[in-house]
Amino acid sequence: MIYFDKLSKYFLTKKGPHYVFKNVNLCLPTDKNIAVLGPNGVGKSTLIRLMGGADNPSKGQIHSPLNISWPLGLQGGLQGSMTARENVRFVARIHGYKNTYPIENKVEDFAEIGKFFDEPVKSYSSGMRSRITFGLTMAFDFDFDILLIDELSAVGDANFKQKSEALLEEKYAKTKLIMVNHSISELKQHCQAGLVIKHQNLFYFDKLTDAIKEYQSTYAK
Amino acid sequence: MSYLVHSKELQKIVVQKRTSRQIMFDVIFALMMRELKTRFGNNRLGYFWAIAEPIAQVMIMGIVFSIIGRNSVSNIPIALFLFTGMLPFKLFGNLLTQLSAAVDANKGLLSYRQVTAIDPVITRIIIELVTFLLVYVLIFSVMAWLGFNAWPDNVLGLLSASTLLIIFTVGLGLILCTAISYWKDASKFTAMITRPLFFISGIFFCAVMIPPQYWHLLDWNPIFHAIELSRDSFFKAYESPVGSWFYLSFCALVSFSSGLALFHLSRQRFINL
Repeated sequence: MIYFDKLSKYFLTKKGPHYVFKNVNLCLPTDKNIAVLGPNGVGKSTLIRLMGGADNPSKGQIHSPLNISWPLGLQGGLQGSMTARENVRFVARIHGYKNTYPIENKVEDFAEIGKFFDEPVKSYSSGMRSRITFGLTMAFDFDFDILLIDELSAVGDANFKQKSEALLEEKYAKTKLIMVNHSISELKQHCQAGLVIKHQNLFYFDKLTDAIKEYQSTYAK
Repeated sequence: MSYLVHSKELQKIVVQKRTSRQIMFDVIFALMMRELKTRFGNNRLGYFWAIAEPIAQVMIMGIVFSIIGRNSVSNIPIALFLFTGMLPFKLFGNLLTQLSAAVDANKGLLSYRQVTAIDPVITRIIIELVTFLLVYVLIFSVMAWLGFNAWPDNVLGLLSASTLLIIFTVGLGLILCTAISYWKDASKFTAMITRPLFFISGIFFCAVMIPPQYWHLLDWNPIFHAIELSRDSFFKAYESPVGSWFYLSFCALVSFSSGLALFHLSRQRFINL
């Protein structure tokens, strides 16, 4: 369960605060993989960031007894001036690992980016970044009850996609996903439940098909 | 597949539930490793320059002083006199520059929930202070070995003056750090503050060299007070007519408390930079 307690989130704009969420109260069940649905700019990534602790609510709070991952996506999480190895070491250390070598090796093997593993992340292509981000998750996922994935699988060649999907599949038993993706087919493949963002609020649907129907009836023109 | 083999190895490592304090220690340790690598790792001469830079500056000024025919100030050998002014000022300048950019340089890492905005600040304070201490001890040990009387006459006074200067600088650094989160160009202030202060903080002169009627031009400057008090403590022969413990403490207190308050009030902003 993830509890949203009177959650509000706004961003300051030139024309006053812009509310993304207003007074959201929700107990989000976490027994199924959840797809987050909404058009661009409605707050999908913000929701993922809030759940992952990368951003703080303006009012209210989110709490959960579960171990939730950081938001896995293309933006953020990796420091551009550091190499992939240094980034991996950093993440391992802040999660309390004293010996970081097994994790470094695992990510290096998974990412398969060769010598670029020891080059600064800012020199990477977006595909290479996503390989590192994905590899990092794979090295830690046995710690997490929930993985937050923000448009991550969108990048990567066929070979890497296949590999990462196989690995995700393998982890399903232990780890649940909360996922943002613009490809409905990919969401259908991974998720069973849906969460629709509308009217600055969250609506949970036990079946993904119901959520997609709601999403289309709300936002389709 | 090799990554599956590694995964079995990994599962042997059990990560215990950590307290908040342990998490903070882990984060600061991780940040420190990262900072040391970027500051001193890329340029293998990094530590060398930390020591060589003040020495070179003192040497140049020492040469200028001996050209104009001065070998001592108030019976203090010129090299010791310059080092006791230069080193506190270097500490001030380096700490301020490092702190004002602390959050900005690590903002990519703030997206992990374990990392909060104050962690990179604490990390940089530790790094700067340890570097300062090493440089200070090294330079004065060499001076002692060269035959100068390089042991401070009043160690406690020197430590107090340095501590007050550090508190003052940390406060100013936090204020600049916060200002940069509102207005990026504020980082230009760091250089604007430190450059002119180099000339008016009493690095290559002291209060007794200036006629008393002009003291008011300099005695508003807390760094001038810190350097005067450092020399006052270091050399029994020198008694500062200007340096005031009360004024320096007052500045340190005001700067530190307003820095902490501003930083705390804007902690949400740093994440969204």
